[in-house]
Amino acid sequence: MSTGPWVAVSPASAGRLGLTMLLFLLSACVPLKAAEPDDATALATRIDAAIQARWQKRGVVPAAAASDAEFLRRASLHIGGCIPEVATTRRFLADPSPDKRRQLVDHLLDSAGYVVNYSHFWRKAMLPEAGADRQAAQYGPGFEAWLRQELTDNTSYDVLVRSILTASPAADRRARDTAGVAAFRQSRQNEAPELATATARVFLGVRIDCAQCHDHPFDTWKQDDFWSMAAFFTGIRFTAAAFEGTEFRGPTIAIPDQDRTATATFLDGTRPDWAADTSTSQVMAEWVTSPGNPYFARATVNRLWGYFFGRGLVDPVDDFSAANPASHPELLDLLAAEFVAHQYDLKFLIRAITASQAYQLSSVQSDPAQNDPQLFAVMPVQWLSPEQISDSFALATGTRRQFTPYRGLISIQSGGSVTLESLFGEDGRSPTEREVTILQALALMNGNDTTRATNLRTSRTLAAVADAPFLNNGQKIETLFLAALSRLPTDRERERLTAYVESGGPAQEPHKALEDVFWSLLNSSEFLLNH
Amino acid sequence: MSRSDESRSSLSRRDWLRLSAGGAFGVSMSGWLPLLAAETARQPERKRSCILLWMSGGPSQIDTFDLKTGHPNGGSFKPIDTAVSGIQISEHLPRIARQMEHLAVIRSMKTKEGDHGRATYLVRTGYPPQAALKYPTMGSLLSRELAREGSVLPDFVSVAPFTGLNTAAYGPGFLGPKHAPLVVGGRQGFGGNYTDESLRVENLDGRGSVSLDRADARLSLLDDLETGFTASRPGVPTESHRAVYDQAVRLMRSSAGRAFDLSEESARVRDAYGRNLFGQGCLLARRLIEHHVPFVEVSLNGLPGGNVFGWDTHQNNFPSVQQLSTVLDAGWASLMDDLKGRGLLDSTLIVWMGEFGRTPVINGNGGRDHFPNAWSAVLGGAVRGGQCIGSTNAAGTDIAERPVSQADLMATICRALGLDPRKQNLSDIGRPIRLADPDARPVEELLP
Repeated sequence: MSTGPWVAVSPASAGRLGLTMLLFLLSACVPLKAAEPDDATALATRIDAAIQARWQKRGVVPAAAASDAEFLRRASLHIGGCIPEVATTRRFLADPSPDKRRQLVDHLLDSAGYVVNYSHFWRKAMLPEAGADRQAAQYGPGFEAWLRQELTDNTSYDVLVRSILTASPAADRRARDTAGVAAFRQSRQNEAPELATATARVFLGVRIDCAQCHDHPFDTWKQDDFWSMAAFFTGIRFTAAAFEGTEFRGPTIAIPDQDRTATATFLDGTRPDWAADTSTSQVMAEWVTSPGNPYFARATVNRLWGYFFGRGLVDPVDDFSAANPASHPELLDLLAAEFVAHQYDLKFLIRAITASQAYQLSSVQSDPAQNDPQLFAVMPVQWLSPEQISDSFALATGTRRQFTPYRGLISIQSGGSVTLESLFGEDGRSPTEREVTILQALALMNGNDTTRATNLRTSRTLAAVADAPFLNNGQKIETLFLAALSRLPTDRERERLTAYVESGGPAQEPHKALEDVFWSLLNSSEFLLNH
Repeated sequence: MSRSDESRSSLSRRDWLRLSAGGAFGVSMSGWLPLLAAETARQPERKRSCILLWMSGGPSQIDTFDLKTGHPNGGSFKPIDTAVSGIQISEHLPRIARQMEHLAVIRSMKTKEGDHGRATYLVRTGYPPQAALKYPTMGSLLSRELAREGSVLPDFVSVAPFTGLNTAAYGPGFLGPKHAPLVVGGRQGFGGNYTDESLRVENLDGRGSVSLDRADARLSLLDDLETGFTASRPGVPTESHRAVYDQAVRLMRSSAGRAFDLSEESARVRDAYGRNLFGQGCLLARRLIEHHVPFVEVSLNGLPGGNVFGWDTHQNNFPSVQQLSTVLDAGWASLMDDLKGRGLLDSTLIVWMGEFGRTPVINGNGGRDHFPNAWSAVLGGAVRGGQCIGSTNAAGTDIAERPVSQADLMATICRALGLDPRKQNLSDIGRPIRLADPDARPVEELLP
């Protein structure tokens, strides 16, 4: 595994580098799946064909291509969960090789950042309650720890989901963390209706909740469909042989407030063959993850598409229904088929998506017609996760921190400082629709983290920049821009800010003026958002 | 002259000059304030405000407002007379008893949720929890209706909420983050000890790190950056960044932000409310109401220095409720006294409740358990006070007459605030949702 030509060690990244080394050693012991750059690139081309076809049909001119700086920052955040380091940015921008973007993606996918970022991503998708509900939150850390292990190994997604649904890790992993994988079931108290709802929503992208109590008002799900699905989650293990001679059709569950029971039936109306001695959860896990399952692959690729583009092909990403059609149905089917064909390899999918021109569009809107999010004609501005904000802030300001795997989940309210994670906690809204709150603005303007980061005496980044004898004011400003915004200042910005620093600002001291410049960068929406 | 000009001119021109020259606006000390406030309250433009006193854990109705003296379920508290003959309440709420003519006690609340998280959601949003739809909490819902244009202070302030059991019950739901509360004292847990820092708005002042000149320069640099970036990237994230930063700066710089500074109040006043999180929270609520904040909620989650979850008295019910009542009595009664003195009581609705009541039968630990079947809530201020609505049977185990659901209560609150409970908002999944459930029937007897 190559670490690429652009990684530089800085004090701030010592902790992260340590983890990278550890994971490198670990992964060297486990055979990696072979990278397939050609297949990913080929899929990217087909993605673009589908997206462009719709532009042409609507006569829409897309936004311009993203610059190297835009792409570097965006991909670093989306894949690695953090903005790039200054040295990384400098080298990437100066690198002349034509496939540097693909190499960047490969490098990010092999990094510790990928593992940490996606452990949060999948935990939030699979255990959303853990962010808000005290009782569910206790399962968060174990689950994320288990996910980190699986992500490091790049376990294929179908195997991952089967482990979760049967609440037991794959046989060769039993020695490792076994408690965490049970979190999906345990956080719902092993209740059949809760598990049915969660399974449908998380893995199949289908909301059957309403049908728990009555036939779904907008969609085709009937109450019987719901309870037939729930019948799989009663946790009963039985032998079909015990029912020899009788007309055994499967486990049943009583429908509350009704005088009938439902027999275990999959959402597509089929029933399993109960011939062998199997547990109901195993049967369900196999149906969910089978290549023939009409929902699983489509829901998964759609969820990832939604993450990268700010909007799924079906949106909301867990609401596939007749009333909510995909914007590009053939593309969705294609992505699903390719995902299955490549053994549900998440990294393959990420490589393909990020290689597409559609993903590499700028977020600068050049035409109002690009406003229609279903066209994917411009990259929408997206909120970062609380962990991404916090990590990026720490990196930009040179704040050394320990690697704390368990963050962002609610903590017992009893004093302690407000962390950036708790301040920017998820509120369940789509990342393109979230708004800043007053408390967030006040914290960014006046809070301890910012005050420390913008004071020469306490800020590593500022200290490094302000005292560098080999940098003139213009170059110092350039470094601050690279640190916070991962780009070079425009000529106008450079000119104006150099004049500001040279005049010393209201304090009439160039060092203090640099503090002011850095403050403005850290408070900008350009810093706070993914774009 | 128009009608509104006439009413304003009843304060002489000299009075107005004296008030504005002395910079007295926003400081509540001199005797002219009742005059000004009376004018304000009578003006038709002044919308109502609401204060929710939230009793986390589910307060025992039999030991507060619906005593069962002489019955085995009655427990050890004695009843006392109130300012309204025929109505008696717990001996540990003496100052509240004297306020009874401004209070209406609903003794027949009846709901169906006995789990803390679900019941909190049910009662605070007026709707049962559903996976698909996130209903807004009462404060978000109603502050949105009562908000004034261009106010510097946020429209909804939440003092010391304990949100751990159901954060959605404290959030704006589908109305969006713009209607989320500004939270102060949010990290005190059950019984945080009160200090002067406890109820400050986090990071409201620049902590003296830079001079005003430099702060201005910084904001100007930020503005330059933002203009370039936002102009070409329209959308909610960038636009809200701009709007909220503007609002935050205005809050920092305006005198209205001093509403949060309780050191402006005399020691005597602060002592009267009680030097604890709840008491000082009530004082803060009064100040915010004076500044026209439409909705303030103050939570009583526990006793100072204590470790018990508020009113959730599964054991040692009587000592706990007695202590909580003492804290409650001081804060609530002082609040009502002061609002009355400022002529604001008629235009302020006060809502006192928890997520359910407690069992009439006392358990083996000297405690009472969850009981949604028959409990009490109290409305004060902008209602027809001095009465009881509904009743429970002698044992307190069921409603005797006039059951009131959480939806009925929400509808009543809407009407008392001058709002139509049938008004619809559009939820984020496109379904129109009324302020209160369509089947709700407001308690007409309470409405002025």
